[in-house]
Amino acid sequence: MNMENPREAIARAPLPTEKTLKRRKNVFIQLTRFAAINFKMIRMIRKGHHPMEKTDK
Amino acid sequence: MNASQVTFPLAPVYAKKGITFHQALAREIHPEGDANTASGFVKVTYTDPARNGETGIIEYDYLVNATGPKLNFEATPGLGPDGHTVSVCTYGHAEEAAKELANVISVMKTGKRQSIAVGVGHGTCTCEGAAFEYAFNVEHEVRSAGVRDLADITYITNEYELGDFGVGGLVFSQQGFQTSSKMWTESLFRERGIKAILGAHVEKVEPNAVLYELVDGTKDILKFDFAMLLPPFRGVDLKAFDKAGNDISDQIFAPSGFMKVDADYSGKPYEEWLASDWPKTYRNPLYPNIFAVGIAFAPPHQISKPRKSPNGTLIAPSPPRTGMPSGIMGKTAILSIRELIKNGSGASVAAASMSDMGAACVASAGSGLKRGSAASMTMYPVVPDYVKYPNTGRSVEETFGEIGLAGHWIKLLLHYMFIYKAKGRFGWFLIPE
Repeated sequence: MNMENPREAIARAPLPTEKTLKRRKNVFIQLTRFAAINFKMIRMIRKGHHPMEKTDK
Repeated sequence: MNASQVTFPLAPVYAKKGITFHQALAREIHPEGDANTASGFVKVTYTDPARNGETGIIEYDYLVNATGPKLNFEATPGLGPDGHTVSVCTYGHAEEAAKELANVISVMKTGKRQSIAVGVGHGTCTCEGAAFEYAFNVEHEVRSAGVRDLADITYITNEYELGDFGVGGLVFSQQGFQTSSKMWTESLFRERGIKAILGAHVEKVEPNAVLYELVDGTKDILKFDFAMLLPPFRGVDLKAFDKAGNDISDQIFAPSGFMKVDADYSGKPYEEWLASDWPKTYRNPLYPNIFAVGIAFAPPHQISKPRKSPNGTLIAPSPPRTGMPSGIMGKTAILSIRELIKNGSGASVAAASMSDMGAACVASAGSGLKRGSAASMTMYPVVPDYVKYPNTGRSVEETFGEIGLAGHWIKLLLHYMFIYKAKGRFGWFLIPE
């Protein structure tokens, strides 16, 4: 079985720029991301939470 | 966080809710009762200080098996706190791991290079996400201690590709493109300078050395000064007996020790797997008044593609089913029991298949309100459904991943919310699983 060499795969992976790294730590930007991620999670939770769906057994 | 921040006494919570609490280890299930007891019962050994070691029986009309797993360190010689590696599966294990990591950091501070191995300790382990976040937390700790240049950190896993996480990887949309958790995770490994060994089955752990076999059949050794390897899981040591006292464990439990429920256990090949193989009601087929939820139920098969090395070694991440799916399954079982009590054994029951259920995962990559970081991920559904979502098996809109400080805040928020919920405080039920 020919596996991909993980060292080569990691070396080929995109490296985040300084701008991206700063963006990931910028408190003001991250506050908006905090709200956006929470919104996405709540939407997904609502879609996935339907425990009253009944099945005949 | 220390142990006191993640643990609390359960007895007062149950007392507040009017629930009889037995702190005990379940040993045997007798679904039909026995010659002396008409109803089903569980034989237990008490573990609370007042009755430690005493045995007893707890009768039931409905039983929910939510034991979680047995940490099966014995599957790999030398694995675990009694061997040569540490674990973070219990708060006690985590405290021990933190002490050993502090020792390794203090050695690095003397200028000595140290090798750190983090990952899973068997080819059939699950919870790769937990190992992943521990690796990045360790990286964060050594960087914060100013000794990052003296640490060789290697992540060793049974995943065939990075970003698999035991769920076959994720595909999500990002800035107008579909991207994969593989590329996303590889990027994080490159950024943090962490090496990876993939498709590995750890055969044995010796002092300062992990002996492993890869999917391609080759074998190698990973030297370490500090190693945190998660154990494989199996069902807890529960037996089942019929009314006459005959052992019926093989009818109730799968060979893995997990409890059989309404799943397809026919053992069909990977190419024939369907989302509908996964259980919906979590009822035992033989005794429908018994439910098994969370890690305790036997999954029909893996989610990631299982592989065997040319030597016949199975290297296949087991399906993760902790966290959010566990909570939903538990709630589903209880809603079903409510219906069965109200409307009798013919009542329709609640359903929540992992192929129709989403999950959110926030993998910490370092703590700190200003310097912290975490990978926030959601997937919908947990088990891919290629009939409903032919291209990727999951909804690309509801599956996403993002790295940043916001993820750490979310992780912290979830911690306090779930502890609040678990304590049954005012409005606890408004907090979703």
